[in-house]
Amino acid sequence: MKQQVKTITKKDFSTFVNTLIKDGTYEVIGVQAKGKRFAFDTLSSAGDLRLDYDVTILPPKKYFLPQYEMLLKFSLQKPFEGKETLLDAPRIIIGVHPYDLIALEQTDRHYLDQQQDNFYKKRRENTLLIGVDIQSVSERSFAASMNTNTTDTGFDLLLTDIGANYAVTIGTEKGEKILKKYATVKDATSTDLNKIKTARNTVLKKYKQKVKIDKKDWSSLLVANYDHAIWEERADVCMECSSCTMVCPTCFCYDVKEDVSLNLKQGNRIRTWDGCMLKDFTKVGSGEVFRDEVKERYRHRFFRKGNYLPERYGFVACVGCGRCGIACLPDIADPCNLINELAHFNSESDTGKYFIKEDNEVLEKGIIHLPRSATIKKVTKCNELDSLFEIELDDKKPLGHKPGQFVEVSLYGYGEAPFGISTPPGNTPVFEIMVRQVGNVTKKLCSLQPGDKVGIRGPLGNGFDMKTLEGKTLLFTSGGTGMVPMRSLINHVLNPKERNKFKDIIILYGAKRPKEITFMDDVDRWKKIHDVQCELTVDKCEPSECWGGCTGLITTLFPKIQADKLDSKNTIAVVIGPPVMYKFVIKCLQTLGIPDDNIYVSLERRMKCGVAKCGHCQINGVYVCKEGPVFNYGQLKQLPEAL
Amino acid sequence: MKQKPRVAVFDFADCEGCELEIADLEEEVLDLIEIVDIVSFREVMKDHSDDYDIAIVEGSIMRPMDEKRLRSIRNHAKILIALGACATMGGVNKIRNQWMPEDVKKEVYGTADLKGNELFDVFQTKALNEVVPVDYYIYGCPIDRDEFKSVITAIALGKKPEIPRYPVCVECKKNENICQFELGSFCLGPITRAGCKAICPTHNSPCEGCRGLIKKADTECVKEVLDRYKLSYEDIRRRCTMYNYGRKECSYDE
Repeated sequence: MKQQVKTITKKDFSTFVNTLIKDGTYEVIGVQAKGKRFAFDTLSSAGDLRLDYDVTILPPKKYFLPQYEMLLKFSLQKPFEGKETLLDAPRIIIGVHPYDLIALEQTDRHYLDQQQDNFYKKRRENTLLIGVDIQSVSERSFAASMNTNTTDTGFDLLLTDIGANYAVTIGTEKGEKILKKYATVKDATSTDLNKIKTARNTVLKKYKQKVKIDKKDWSSLLVANYDHAIWEERADVCMECSSCTMVCPTCFCYDVKEDVSLNLKQGNRIRTWDGCMLKDFTKVGSGEVFRDEVKERYRHRFFRKGNYLPERYGFVACVGCGRCGIACLPDIADPCNLINELAHFNSESDTGKYFIKEDNEVLEKGIIHLPRSATIKKVTKCNELDSLFEIELDDKKPLGHKPGQFVEVSLYGYGEAPFGISTPPGNTPVFEIMVRQVGNVTKKLCSLQPGDKVGIRGPLGNGFDMKTLEGKTLLFTSGGTGMVPMRSLINHVLNPKERNKFKDIIILYGAKRPKEITFMDDVDRWKKIHDVQCELTVDKCEPSECWGGCTGLITTLFPKIQADKLDSKNTIAVVIGPPVMYKFVIKCLQTLGIPDDNIYVSLERRMKCGVAKCGHCQINGVYVCKEGPVFNYGQLKQLPEAL
Repeated sequence: MKQKPRVAVFDFADCEGCELEIADLEEEVLDLIEIVDIVSFREVMKDHSDDYDIAIVEGSIMRPMDEKRLRSIRNHAKILIALGACATMGGVNKIRNQWMPEDVKKEVYGTADLKGNELFDVFQTKALNEVVPVDYYIYGCPIDRDEFKSVITAIALGKKPEIPRYPVCVECKKNENICQFELGSFCLGPITRAGCKAICPTHNSPCEGCRGLIKKADTECVKEVLDRYKLSYEDIRRRCTMYNYGRKECSYDE
């Protein structure tokens, strides 16, 4: 579609802006000077607009994903009451550069394509964007190399300074309407159109920073250099301050926190910017940090931009604004610089792939923050550390989960935490989770009684694809709390209605100590079934503990497998346990001759949002909360961050 | 109804500014006394009781008599909270530790005879946790009122308070400030624990590190930045003397 172009005199444009401000329908935001830099801020007069700016300190993302944003308001007095709140008025943002418009279009893909974020969506709908063609080029910008120096989309109106007038390109109907209502414009002549081209070309010559590698080739360049020494060399001087991600228009990961009023009566659930350069970004309740080394975090940031998001959405998540280059004190954050440096080492071995394409996309629209109310029905102590919670959804609708899926349990004032579901699927609103006291949420959960309320989001994650297990011998290996989701799977396949779909079943289960064994009743029951072999071991046993069974790591159970039962090519192995366990168990499985593609694992990461938005659970380019937690090992082994 | 926890506020060598921040909660003090009973708080009330569950202690420990009093407070309290830079890490009072106590006394009091007067019997300044175990830390000079509230509500709810372990830069960037380094100034924000909402750089004053360093001043990255901005190790050492004299970086899990 050919876009309409109008012209407006600069004086009339000022009148247009001042009319908008006076009219009050919209909050009018524009680029203004802030010291010797520039920033988007509420505009009180057209005279404060600085459309000749080079780059703002923060991108306009702050108007769509604010630094701090209230997701829910909750009461700590009433049993369970939470409300989503969004109070922002309609806005017009004047002076957005093309690269920032493109960054917003990229953010749209993440927040609007699937499981839409209501807050982001509402703000996008409520906001008109008046873009402006770049007049001054920031010292560090390389937008021309990224092809983001100009754009035909992403704006309602786009201004180009063509001397005495602005050319106004109309991008949307909304833009056209507002222009009609508030401004005096003329149709652009062919001379005007030529002036737009000339203006853009003049600016193009001003770029000092250039990337030597075309952006479509960033991905393979990065992949070829995954293990390059540059990551460590640069990470050595990294301040770990995450300034680079804070100022980035395409960094949109977030954290969620609870803010409770001093009288403990009510509170807010707050979303705030988080940065993958910070150590706590990947930290889970039990204290484990999954991207512990600075080098890993430093590399992750570049791979996310140049490989992970391009694989997922088809765009390089860097628009060349140069903000990170300005913000980084040791000056190691600038992608232009890093890519050019890597270009010297371009090698041919780009065989790695750090992304798993999901086959079945679950489309779910609407609210993703608000939990459903549920009631604790029963609490059973499994052992010294763990308690089993039976929970019923208050709307009495079935949870509708698959084995291997999880729920986010929400306690207002304390936060949310993910829990594997330990009961098999069924047409019931009742399900069980196991809770081990490790953090704020689990500690509080353990103090709750039957009748108390909790919030539930989910079921989340992919769960097991039961079709792939059919007709196969099943070898289940679980360690520690890995038995929680495993129990759901085992009891599902042992269900008389399902049982004939599968061949023999072998269950290997290891716990640290006898007192840490969970679901002993189930284990005893499984042992009595004729076509089920169930073996149990504990790592260690004090003389004071009563234990007549096997002692040793989980791997000691493998020789006990009755060889006649195991047709390795027709066996599916499922492994769930603590991170350290996988490597050793997988080696045992390979020794048994089980192909990698027949091995499934379920992984633990920091799953904060549960819907592939917040970014915390990423293993290379994969969101564990959505594409996992169940993975095929044949695919997973290509992800260096996985095991 | 469950009995409210009894709270007492104490001070040692300090300016009482952090206590003032609590008093400055204004109408929110009413919310505070809804969840706790304040039984002792010299700065704002006359009453005093030695029967308390939570002790909030401001100030650093300078003398044997302070040490004795702090031990007694610790014995009374189930929970001890260190309030502000002086209590959490020694703060400005530790500047004095550059010299021997005897030399300091001589410099300040000259030849006056102070023998036997326990008020002047000073040793090298200590933070509270150099004398007794501390349960919770509220950092800053002064403390941030919102952080005070979040620590109190966390304790009341039985949660572990969330104290940031990332640098001030995170909050400074969120505030859309121009970097102090860009302005030609020298700021400790990149190596100082956040939680203050970057209040100093937001008001155009560089960070002085009052919430404690989270990185050593002699790590590679700091050296790199000092080089780049033509600063010396001596510059950063002097800047760190203000609040962080003799102090290594906070451990990750502190």
